Amino acid sequence: MTRKPNGCLEIEPDLVAAATGDAEPGASRRVEHHIDSCDACRREFHRYREIEGVVGVLRRGPAAADSVARAREGLESRLADLRSRLVSYRVFPSPLGHILIARSEHGVSLVEYLHGGTDLSMSRLSRVGGVEAQEDGAEIEALYRELLEYLRGDRTRLEWPLDLRLARSDFHRAVLRATAAIPYGAVTSYAGIAAEIGKPAATRAVAQALRWNPLPIVVPCHRIIGTSGALTGYSGDKVGLKQQLLAVEGIQAIGKRSDSRVARNTLYHYDRNDQHEYCLPTCGDIARRPIGPVTLLASRELAGALGLVPCSACRPDLHPLAA
Amino acid sequence: MMGEQPFETIVGAHHAEIYRYLRRVTSRAAEAEDLSQETFLRAYRAYKTLGPDANVRAWLFAIATNLGRNHFRSEKRRRVAHQAVSVESREADPEGPEDEARFGEARTLLESTVQGLPLKQRLAFVMRKIHDLDYDAIGRSLDCSAESARAHVFQALRKIRLSLNGHELPPARGVETSPLNMEQPR
Repeated sequence: MTRKPNGCLEIEPDLVAAATGDAEPGASRRVEHHIDSCDACRREFHRYREIEGVVGVLRRGPAAADSVARAREGLESRLADLRSRLVSYRVFPSPLGHILIARSEHGVSLVEYLHGGTDLSMSRLSRVGGVEAQEDGAEIEALYRELLEYLRGDRTRLEWPLDLRLARSDFHRAVLRATAAIPYGAVTSYAGIAAEIGKPAATRAVAQALRWNPLPIVVPCHRIIGTSGALTGYSGDKVGLKQQLLAVEGIQAIGKRSDSRVARNTLYHYDRNDQHEYCLPTCGDIARRPIGPVTLLASRELAGALGLVPCSACRPDLHPLAA
Repeated sequence: MMGEQPFETIVGAHHAEIYRYLRRVTSRAAEAEDLSQETFLRAYRAYKTLGPDANVRAWLFAIATNLGRNHFRSEKRRRVAHQAVSVESREADPEGPEDEARFGEARTLLESTVQGLPLKQRLAFVMRKIHDLDYDAIGRSLDCSAESARAHVFQALRKIRLSLNGHELPPARGVETSPLNMEQPR
């Protein structure tokens, strides 16, 4: 091949672009000008136009519709699998220490106190099979903001869709659902939950299920205590956290760490009765009856919201407890 | 930022094209199938973080291109180990025999030339000439500037021009008209 003159070499990229419909306006004009006076480049230009025609044919293939459909089908099934496994999470600081929040497509699946570290390896997520955990932002950030409001006492409900798949069994899920129904500012016992789910002998199993509660705070296991009023365990040995969470809701505890219990004399009592009457703690022996059948309530407003009426004997409406 | 459309819409709108792109730049249908699925699985993981104004199509091409390049890197190692290169024969042309008769030989030659191009040139060429992506998008896919992307396409066309040397090609439509027409949108 003979060496091209410099002018032709320089114009070559523009010439190829112009012939294949890809040139910027200025370049097209330069090419036009050049090939007016250069036969060799004019031939090149036409050759590239022909090539562009063959390339146009290439655009129509390859891949028959059935192979596209087969790839698509495979994709749908892999996508469904990924969706069921994918969990996005983030770790946040909070007044209760570092907390990991995770959610799946179905709802919030894990709220976890991270003791001793803030990376995923500290979390239950890293140990559950069949889960793909992905650190993620905005969606979880919104949950975190609500959680902070809750912990400040500026919000009484976390109305989050929940995904209970990280619970260990259907029994655990039943316990979690019953626990989720205990309202803000109320306290009941493990025995109370056992009775509620129709397994009155399963008190210990209920306590065990709540020990593995994947959604503390949201599923308020801190509102479940011993029949004696003892706070008992929380997130391992973090009874202090339980005490803090209850305090936010207006439920005070007395006594030191290991034997701290709720201050029953500061709470209204409801012992299930047909009149739906709630009482002062000083009404008869009610404050000595086991918590379970009895539910403790932080305020008269809550009692009212639950459809309860003041006891006609002790009249909590006339003698409210000091706030 | 949450993507505007549900992900199903994205799959519906772009899967076939991404598959065809990968089918064009890989040598086997099974590879294209796997890489196209992997492209959308990756996209699904990252979709929620995509801005509302993002160019979803260019973004998917970038994911597919990255996966393709990684794939070729390991493929190359594998091939060196086994010394086995097999390119499947082209699938039936859905556009019928007319093009086949007119362009058959040239097309086959063109395809094998494209397959033989250095990877970046091949990817840039296919993205530009087959899928009409702009050079900014191609540059983003290939981690290079728009100018480099343009240069890759130019080099690809030069090589194609050389490989077709001496082959008679059907005259391009409109070639007899003045070059003034050459700016018409393709």
